[in-house]
Amino acid sequence: MPDLYHALTLFLLLNLGAGLWRVVRGPTAADRMLAAQLFGTTAVAILLVLAQAGGVAALRDVALVFALLAAVAAVAFVRRAWPQPEDEHDRP
Amino acid sequence: MSLLQTGIDALLALGLVWLAWRALACPDLFRGIVLFIAFGLLMALAWVRLEAPDVALAEAAIGAGLTGALLLAALARLNRIAPAGTRADTREAWRNAPALLLVLAGAGLGLAVLSLLPEPAGLQAQVAAELGRSGVSNPVTAVLLNFRGYDTLLEVLVLLLALLAAWSLEAEPPRREAAPGPVLDLLLRLLLPVLVLAAAYLLWAGAHAPGGAFQAGAVLGAAGVLALLAGWRLQPHLTGLPLRLAIVIGPGGFLLVAWALLLTGRPLLEYPPALAGALILLIETLATLSIAATLAVLFQGSRPAAEPPA
Repeated sequence: MPDLYHALTLFLLLNLGAGLWRVVRGPTAADRMLAAQLFGTTAVAILLVLAQAGGVAALRDVALVFALLAAVAAVAFVRRAWPQPEDEHDRP
Repeated sequence: MSLLQTGIDALLALGLVWLAWRALACPDLFRGIVLFIAFGLLMALAWVRLEAPDVALAEAAIGAGLTGALLLAALARLNRIAPAGTRADTREAWRNAPALLLVLAGAGLGLAVLSLLPEPAGLQAQVAAELGRSGVSNPVTAVLLNFRGYDTLLEVLVLLLALLAAWSLEAEPPRREAAPGPVLDLLLRLLLPVLVLAAAYLLWAGAHAPGGAFQAGAVLGAAGVLALLAGWRLQPHLTGLPLRLAIVIGPGGFLLVAWALLLTGRPLLEYPPALAGALILLIETLATLSIAATLAVLFQGSRPAAEPPA
């Protein structure tokens, strides 16, 4: 059974590699940011699988923190790096 | 270790080196930030593989969550002050002097690793022997808050120092956030209570499992950053003394405990075993509040007193 979990982890890691391709190629900033968000989701999956494989319950806490904090980078991107429609009118 | 596990570790190691190199060498700053966020995620997974879930938890909270938001905000500010194209290309200068420093530091680290004993005795046995008297059952928390409490006190003070440095810079005119849309508003109303709950859980779990003040403070600080990003601000009467109290209560409470113990004739930060658990929880709770407040205020950058009443 641990072998199955480790094979799944390896597969998920290879998925991260596919996401990396999108980060490097883009073409828009939103593509790159969404790929980073996909990274976060895949990392949560990897952590849950590893927690099961090794019997380390603490890894689920790490996954929880990942899942909760992924939103921070996404919101920072939308609010700061992406043009806001109101910005045009607010600018002095 | 099976072949599969070796494959996982090799992929992680290769990915980390590649991401670090790309994040530094990439000419586009935004792409560099996204690569850095990915680096933080992979780094946390590497700590998990190294069987250090405490460090993985801190890396997940700070590296993948807060640093990404901080860098994105810094880039937005940089683009406002000096739009891309008007900035001098510093990369040529970057390559020479600091590269030499990096080579020296790398050589020093290499030497240090080579000079390690083949079978280091380590301090695990000593920590395990004294764990019963530390007041907690998680060895990492026991070392951080009890056996080496002095180090942690100075670390909490470092955060305060960073904030003082940020506040002594010239205040920038406060940023007017656009009103949050319905999606962001709903997300915040759902997510903020969960973040507060998760922070409280991590703080409590620190006594017997990975967790503790830094991780809890980072999660709570992330809640503050989210609120700031949505344009929520503290009431003006709270940005003065109450905010400053929240920022210094962690290091201040730590120092008060240290002082009270000195008064009872004990060495610095040596807790009486019967009270150790309660004292550690008190110090960690206060430190969590201070760390969260400091991180959120650092994200905002300038002193909040400069805010005009909204």
